Amino acid sequence: MSRLLLKWLRVPHEPAPPEGSPDSIKIFRAGANYYRWRLVVWVFSWFGSMVPLLLSALFVMGLHKLPPLARALILAGEVLFFAWLVLLLPFSYLMQRLNYEQRWYIVTDRSLRIRAGIWSVEELTMTFANIQDIRITSGPLQKFLGLADLEVASAGGGSTGPKGEQIASSHIACFAGVDNAEQIRDLIQDRLRHYRDAGLGDPNTAPATPTVDQAAANLLAEARALRAAASA
Amino acid sequence: MTQPVPASIAAIKRPIDPLWTYYLLKAAATTVAFPVTALVLYFRFHTMRYDFGAEGLRMSWGILFRNEVLLNYARIQDIHLRSNAIERALGLARIEIQTASGSSSSVMTLEGLADPEAMRDYLYSRMHGATDHKQADTLTTVLLEVAAELKTVRLALEKRA
Repeated sequence: MSRLLLKWLRVPHEPAPPEGSPDSIKIFRAGANYYRWRLVVWVFSWFGSMVPLLLSALFVMGLHKLPPLARALILAGEVLFFAWLVLLLPFSYLMQRLNYEQRWYIVTDRSLRIRAGIWSVEELTMTFANIQDIRITSGPLQKFLGLADLEVASAGGGSTGPKGEQIASSHIACFAGVDNAEQIRDLIQDRLRHYRDAGLGDPNTAPATPTVDQAAANLLAEARALRAAASA
Repeated sequence: MTQPVPASIAAIKRPIDPLWTYYLLKAAATTVAFPVTALVLYFRFHTMRYDFGAEGLRMSWGILFRNEVLLNYARIQDIHLRSNAIERALGLARIEIQTASGSSSSVMTLEGLADPEAMRDYLYSRMHGATDHKQADTLTTVLLEVAAELKTVRLALEKRA
């Protein structure tokens, strides 16, 4: 069933790791409890959409002044919507499983790559040279399940909405629901240490390595200076 | 120091035709506004141009409202490869490129590429931090060392004088 869905939606195969030394490639997956966490969130959101539906149905039934036809139409609409939600239930349940399975967090010596998604497949590649900060967050339920989200941010705007709330920024690579966040953090920090010019960078600002011509000219100037010093 | 652009990348100037099909579907999704969105996307598709240079890339589209974006490879922060199921059915994918500019939306979205994964690999290879800064070759190093030796000789000579 899920194989068929993946094929039908043309979800690409496992992502190729970015170029880097082959023995440095480490592939992390979401923790086993991440699936359970998704299920909990999914159940809650399902009930979250169910409650207002029921309340509005009760409200409409309580309106005695409404013409019977209008009331019947509204209730029929609500029943149809309810049926639609129930019909989608197995499908969205399968999606939770697939979303858990279709997740890859790849770390090489130079960069990281994150792949996730079923309907909309998203893949993000970032080099460590551009990374600004690492953040680990976990809520009470995630903590109970031994999970955490590890976020790696590059420079740039996480813009704020009209009320000052943070909008999810595409500058952030999120290792969602990993059960070894500390290990991944240590690994990334270790790799970051190799970039002294990490952060906002331009390779042109690194000390330029001289060309052969420049080195030869330099040698000539030095030889002339030596002769001048010797003949003085 | 800049590496040459591979011929397959340098040859890309226009988006591939399935992008137009996708644009039509996208316009159809707006139902009533179809004529307007279809027209806008028609011009977008037909005026879209790419230019992949040695230092950076350029993308432009639009006639009435002209847009042109230039971007240096070295300034790329992160590369997103995105696609929804409809795009994948048409063999398409988007590459969204981020720089360190203030917006959270992408700076440039490359659409309608024949091989998005190859393009992603190419952009990655040009990005800051993907490869080491070029090391000086041995001849240059030797010349620099000889110069340094001569300098110490000169300094010793001057001290004695």
